[in-house]
Formats: sequence, structure tokens, C-alpha cells
Amino acid sequence: MNTTVPPPEGAESQERMRAWLTDRVAAYLDKSPDDIDPRLPLAEYGLDSVYAVSLSGDIEAHLGLEVEPTMAWDYPTIEAIARYLCGETLEGPRP
Amino acid sequence: MTLEARLGDPWAAGNPVGFAAVVRADERGRLLAEGERLLDDYGLNRDFVPRDLGGRLGDVSRMARSLRPVFRRDTSLGLGYGVTSFMAAVNVWAAGDDAQRRWLAGLLCRGGRAAVCFHELAHGNDLANQEFEAVRRDGGLALRGRKEVINNADRAGALVVFARTDPRRGGRSHSLLLLDPATLPPGRVHRLPRFGSAGMRGCRLGGLRFDDCPVPAEAVVGGEGDGMETALRAFQVTRAVLPAMAIGTLDTQIRVTARFALARRLYGAPVTDIPHVRSVLAGAFADALVGDCLSTVASRALHLLPREASVYSAAAKYLVPKLLLDAADRLALVLGARSYVREGEYAVFQKNLRDLPLLSLGHAGPANCQATIISQLGALAHRSWPSGDYEAPASLFQSGRELPALRYEDLGLSARGRDPLSASLVAGSAAVGEDNAAVRGLAAALVAELGALKTRVLELPPRDRTPAGRRVAFTLAARYALVLAGSACLNVWLHGEHRQDRFTGDDTWVVAALHRVAERLGIRSGPLPPYAADRLCAEVIARCTDPHSLDLDNVPLSG
Repeated sequence: MNTTVPPPEGAESQERMRAWLTDRVAAYLDKSPDDIDPRLPLAEYGLDSVYAVSLSGDIEAHLGLEVEPTMAWDYPTIEAIARYLCGETLEGPRP
Repeated sequence: MTLEARLGDPWAAGNPVGFAAVVRADERGRLLAEGERLLDDYGLNRDFVPRDLGGRLGDVSRMARSLRPVFRRDTSLGLGYGVTSFMAAVNVWAAGDDAQRRWLAGLLCRGGRAAVCFHELAHGNDLANQEFEAVRRDGGLALRGRKEVINNADRAGALVVFARTDPRRGGRSHSLLLLDPATLPPGRVHRLPRFGSAGMRGCRLGGLRFDDCPVPAEAVVGGEGDGMETALRAFQVTRAVLPAMAIGTLDTQIRVTARFALARRLYGAPVTDIPHVRSVLAGAFADALVGDCLSTVASRALHLLPREASVYSAAAKYLVPKLLLDAADRLALVLGARSYVREGEYAVFQKNLRDLPLLSLGHAGPANCQATIISQLGALAHRSWPSGDYEAPASLFQSGRELPALRYEDLGLSARGRDPLSASLVAGSAAVGEDNAAVRGLAAALVAELGALKTRVLELPPRDRTPAGRRVAFTLAARYALVLAGSACLNVWLHGEHRQDRFTGDDTWVVAALHRVAERLGIRSGPLPPYAADRLCAEVIARCTDPHSLDLDNVPLSG
């Protein structure tokens, strides 16, 4: 259950990040990952502001990336979070 | 003259702010006018205003303890006169601009009130789903909706309003506004009728309805969309300090019960000779000490451990009111009929019984606090339990030590798994000497509980750590709050400056306190060990006969 994913690198990193986040959110919601739309705001799935704070804790615990507790407020969809996190760790310019 | 000295002997018949007067005012559903005048003269509001704005507020834990004389005397006066002003003002101290801070500070220092306009009947503590809205209009905003069950809505000189500024769900969809009701256009805001309440009867719980009321853009506190983040920071402060103040209310409940028990004779001796009564008095005093330790530590953590403090203040606000209420209920059984009679020498007891529950519900309630903890359990268990990265500094547990300034911007909404207070439990447990075998045993039991919690938390399916989770997460959060309380008690005993005091320098009080915690966890059963019950009961009687506060500080009282 507690798989540690190495920090993302390279062009495919966003895809892997999106997949990891989708799996995580699906687990929280007790749904299949196929049922999670990465472009739908997490709040629409009933994952409220307080939960969003715990997602940042998960990201830190499992990915080793330090993020602000309010990160998911400013990047409200899985896709936005994935873009943000990969932009954070890429050496080069953000995509 | 100190506040305590001004309040005078609560039992003196002629005292205009004595218990008899407090009860009479409550019967009429009014705040004690003499009490309000006394607090005006004393300038109590200055305790809520930061020093750099002309007030006396520096160390919030010291401020909380300085409110205890008011809570000992009249809980509704404490809440109704000033604490709700503080609850409103904290948002402005945290996020307001210079003009807003100065204006509010001036108003409070002149004796004015601020009303915290968050609550909506349809949504209660569920801030995220609130409907009251502020829409853009002509370079400013227009307010629409109702705020109800708002203390001092009808007489506040400042309103701190929480409003939705974006229809989308999420954490950036709300803003805070600071309003001067005198400048609002007439006809666009209406006062709603006052709500009667079973407790805090003197508090003026009114409401306001805004009908497309225009307000200037400058009314926004912080940035548009910052409302939720600012409110959550402000809640951390009020969640820690309100329970710390309310220890004063339990103090009075214990004192009234002891007074009754000393005066009443049964079987040829005072009621205080009856073992069960001694046990109840001792247990309630131990509970007050547990509450004092946890709330003081949580308040000091805001200054010393701002990134980690969110969990501790949630734990304090969840657990301490529960301890106070449960203790008061057990004391009621000793008082018998005097616990519900609304007149006579002990009548303040029933007033406090009715007032206490509102301290929880009128502000972040237990469920909200547990939700805060639940959302962080996974990270805490994964990263820190049991020993963590680092322990808390010893000064966390030394209530007389100077604190660095409270930096609101450093208050983290999540501790992100860091837990120095739990690490201090483990370190503290190892530091207890063999002379204190009872303490060693209890501390070790709490460390074992922390280990058990870690296993159970890591086994929880992620869904149980969301708002849709099952009851089990709430149970684990409640157990963890008790473990934190145990750590606070143990480390206050180990590191606190009270070691010179005859009572707190001994280990009996901490044995009693830890026993109370362990009993709630189900890892100890039965009443306090007899020697501890006797010692604490004797201390209660001593502090009633020669009046001193029933908390760690043990300050002399009037009367």
C-alpha cells in the first residue's frame, strides 16, 4: 500500500505522476482509477479543503517532495498537480 | 489592582460581581452589567490587542491564563464580553493590512467589540460550503445572505465576515471582510432577532441579513480568496487558547462542590470524608491539570513550533472541553439536587453546567477538530511515530519562560507528519527515574499506545482518512489526542519550573493526571490509587479553604 515512487524525471514524468495521483485519489474514494477524471477538480469528488491538505502530506511521505499544505487549493485537478510537481523537479524550463 | 482583586470574594453577599449577582443576571438572560463595567475599567480588551498596536498581547498562553479569573467567575461574561472579539480580531492580526489592524486595535482598546460573522444556520462549522456571498460590484463588493447565532451582532463596532467570493468549490473561494457597521448603507443590512439559548444565556446571539449591501474593496482582509487559509490559521490560535481559559470554569465547579461537601454532614462527618466523594474531587482536579497541561502546551507551541502546532491545538479543542464537561457531570452527582437548583449558595454550578457545552459548539466543534487530526494521521504515523525527527524544546513545557513573537504567517495548516510532542513522550518516558515507578509505568503504557496507534493508522484504508471515512478514524484521532495530553503532562512534570512547589514538585499529581489519561484509553482501569486520591483531595480542600487556583499556577484568589 505504501509504495515509494522515485522522484519523476524526464518527459514521461508527468504521465507517471498523473497515474500515481489518480491511483491515490481513487484509493481515497474507493473507486477504480478508470473512474477518476484528471481534469475534474478534486473538490467535485467531495475531497474538501481539509482533505487537500492531507494530500500534500501523502505527496511528501511517498514522493519525498516538500509541498505547501495549500498546494491542492491552487492546483485543483490531478492534471494541474502533476504539471506543478514536475515543473518543480525538472532541471530545465517548465513545460 | 489585579483583575482577581477587582472581582473580589465571589461568595460575599454584597459583591456586585459575586456568584449571586452572576446567577441573577443569567436568570434574566443578561450579561452582568457590573461585570461588563468592571472589565471596561480594567481594559480587558487590551489583552486581545498586540503590543505593537497598543495592547498587551504577546504570549497567547499567558493571555489565556489571564482570562481565567473571568471564567472562574462568569463563563458567559468571559465569552460574551471579550473572547469572541478576540476570535474575530485574530483574523485581522494575521492577515490585515496596517490600516485595518490599527483601526481594529483602536476600537478594541476603547472598549468596543468585534463580532465574528462566520456562522450560517444551514452550514454550521462547515465553512467550505457556506453560501453567504460577496460579489464584485462597481469597484467594490456587494454582500448577500445571512449570518446567524453571532455573538454581539447587534452591538459590535466591527464585523469580521467570512464570505464566498467564487462559486467554485475549493480552498480559494472565500474571503474575509472587516466592516464598520456604522458605515453600511441603511436598509441594506438588518439585525435579526436574538436567539435564546439554554446556556450562555446572557450572550447576545443575534444575526445579520445583508441585502445586496455595498462595501468598499478595502474591506477585504488579506487578498481575495485568502479567507479559508486565514481562518484556518486563526482557528489554530483560538482552538488552543479557549480551552486554556475554560479551565477556570472547572475550577469553580470543583470549588463549589468542595464547599458543599465540607459543609454537609452525613454519617456523622463531612461529606468530604466519604471515599467516593474524595475520589470524584481528586479526579476532577486531575482532569483540570490534564486540561491545563495540554492547552498550555498547545498555546506555547503556536509560538515555538508554528509549523507543527495545528495538530496540538485541534487536540486541545477536541479533548479539553470534553474533560471539563465530564468532570462537571461527575461533580454534579456529589452535589445532588444542588446541581440543578437555580438559586441559593451553589446556584452558579448549574449555570456553568449549561454554559460549558456552548464553548465547544459555538466555535470549532469536536468533529471539526477530529477532522483536522484525521487528515494528518497518515503523515504523522508514517514520518514520526514513535520517536520522530526531533523532540520539542524544553521551553515548550515551561510556562514562565519568555516566548518568541507569534508569527501567524508561519502557522502551518498541516504539520506534514512532524510530531515533536510525541517524540518528547518517548524521550520523557526514558528519562523518568526509578524513584518514580508509577510514573514510569504509566509513561511506558502511553508509549506502547503510540506504537499501537501507528500500526492501526498505517492499516487504515485511505478512504477512512477522508471526510467520508468510517468511525474508526475518529476513534484513532481521539486516542491520539489523549496520548498528546499524556506527553504534555509528563513533560510539564519533567521540565516545568514548578518543581520547587510543594505540590507540583512531587510526582503524585502527574501520576493522577496520567492515570486519568490512561483510564480514558482503557489501558488502566478503576479510580485513582488511594494515596493519589487522598493527596489531590487534600489539595483541593486546602485550595478552597485558603483560596488558590485549581491549576498548575496555584495563584492566590479573592475570597
